[in-house]
Amino acid sequence: MTANGGSPRLVYLIAAILVCLSTFPFAWMLLSSIKTLGELYTVPPAWIPKVPTLANYWNVLTVSNIPRYFLNSVVISAGSTAIALALAIFAAYGFARFRFAGKPFFEAFVLIGQLLPTAAIIVPLYMVLSGLGLINTWLGLILVYLILTLPLSVWMLIGYFSTIPLELEESAIVDGCSRLGVLMRITLPLSLPGVVAVVIYSFVTTWNEFIFALCLANDSRSKTLPIGLSEFSTEFNTDWGAVMAASVIMTLPICILFFAMQKLFIGGLMSGATKG
Amino acid sequence: MMKKPWNTGLLFALPALLVLSALIIFPLGYTIVLSFTDDFGQYVGLRNFQRIATAPVTRVAFWNTIYYVVVSIVLQVALGTAAGIALNQKFRGRGAVRALVLIPWIVPGIVAATTWAWMFHSEFGIINYGLSEAGLISGPVGWLTDPNLVLPALVAVNVWKMFPFVAVMVLAGLQAIPESLYEAARMDGATFLEEVRYITLPQLKPILSSITLLLLIWGLNGITIIYAMTKGGPANRSLITPIQIYKQGFEFFRFGEAAALSVLFFAVVLVFVAIYVRGFGRQEAF
Repeated sequence: MTANGGSPRLVYLIAAILVCLSTFPFAWMLLSSIKTLGELYTVPPAWIPKVPTLANYWNVLTVSNIPRYFLNSVVISAGSTAIALALAIFAAYGFARFRFAGKPFFEAFVLIGQLLPTAAIIVPLYMVLSGLGLINTWLGLILVYLILTLPLSVWMLIGYFSTIPLELEESAIVDGCSRLGVLMRITLPLSLPGVVAVVIYSFVTTWNEFIFALCLANDSRSKTLPIGLSEFSTEFNTDWGAVMAASVIMTLPICILFFAMQKLFIGGLMSGATKG
Repeated sequence: MMKKPWNTGLLFALPALLVLSALIIFPLGYTIVLSFTDDFGQYVGLRNFQRIATAPVTRVAFWNTIYYVVVSIVLQVALGTAAGIALNQKFRGRGAVRALVLIPWIVPGIVAATTWAWMFHSEFGIINYGLSEAGLISGPVGWLTDPNLVLPALVAVNVWKMFPFVAVMVLAGLQAIPESLYEAARMDGATFLEEVRYITLPQLKPILSSITLLLLIWGLNGITIIYAMTKGGPANRSLITPIQIYKQGFEFFRFGEAAALSVLFFAVVLVFVAIYVRGFGRQEAF
């Protein structure tokens, strides 16, 4: 739709304010990450660093545990995303293409999983995981993150599968294809954009997750980036240059992923967004 | 093709359902058991509930949570809707503006928290510098250490983080409003603000109500920003219930009381969600 806009000048003014509001902290983070100590701690603040330095990045990458946390985050996010996707593909296919006893109940159950307040289950999760010897392991967090990734993956994939015309599947079955074969050879390839969206959503969610990681990963073998970053900034003498550099490092994969896939991810939501 | 086997579909769904039950139902049940027992697994009746419910800090955290969540949601929806409507106007560079406005939402929560903590820094923070240059404050303000400012400051960060999500969803909702409604309004000589008031907002109501439900859930789960910026301080002025649960369990190791608080928290959340869903009609609840 097009509303008959107010004055165009007002629209530009509002757009400018929105852009400043949204990007300033991000820009400030980038600028702070390449400043020397002297320029970080001055009043009035230096806007653009006179002698940009990569020393903060060098510190983060060589002295701190951040590279190790980065690895932990990659393994845990990728692992949880993969398991959730595998389980969700089958579950979503079952929900989208069959009727069975109790289906509405099970669908509601999956949905409610998404609405659960995570703080309410951290204590028992900790006890169960420590009983299984999974505290401070990759596997422990990978499993727990299924709570976050699985329900929405199922829900999103049901939506995508439902859009595939039934006739395609029926003709394959007539040709002697099994249900599993139909899913693998027809439904899944046709839903590829949906699968990509699910992967991105799951990866980003687990990459950013904080409270489970805080409770269930206490040593450098398993701590994820968000926890590493929060420790950085709460020590008494915070090295803000290093914190900002670590923040940039943590944001980079997400930004790349997001802008590379933006069209797919927001999909119909932002139709025409890139054409302006 | 959908008629015959009732069990094939269930077979497909079963692995995911089993995993989810193990990860959700079991811990929830275990929380309830824990809430009635002491550290040695002995049944203690309502003692844990009594202790945690009468602790003064619980009431403080409860009101902080309400304040944080409610004020955040009101501002997120207001700012997000306004932004969505503005971004729906035709202007040059609209695509770029839409993409840039998404940045706060894309940036990881912990990164937003550390960046804002640095901007709020009382001595070297850019915010204090800007405000004092503009003559709005006379000395450095301790945004995260002043008991009266800490929650509003955290709400501001939370609003900044989530308003783009509202804007994107509103933008999507706007595409679904039939052009004919606007044409009819224009025939009747409606102004822009009248169109917003009588067409856009009523048409957006369903999508706004499901957005609000999501914001409510996320807000109640939203421990990251507060924990990373203040850990609930100073003197519990920014302590919210999820952080209190974490502290009871993992700092004071009072698992029974933490579990009792979890049960209470869960019950209150359920009541809120139920009231909400009932009040706004459930067909579009996500």
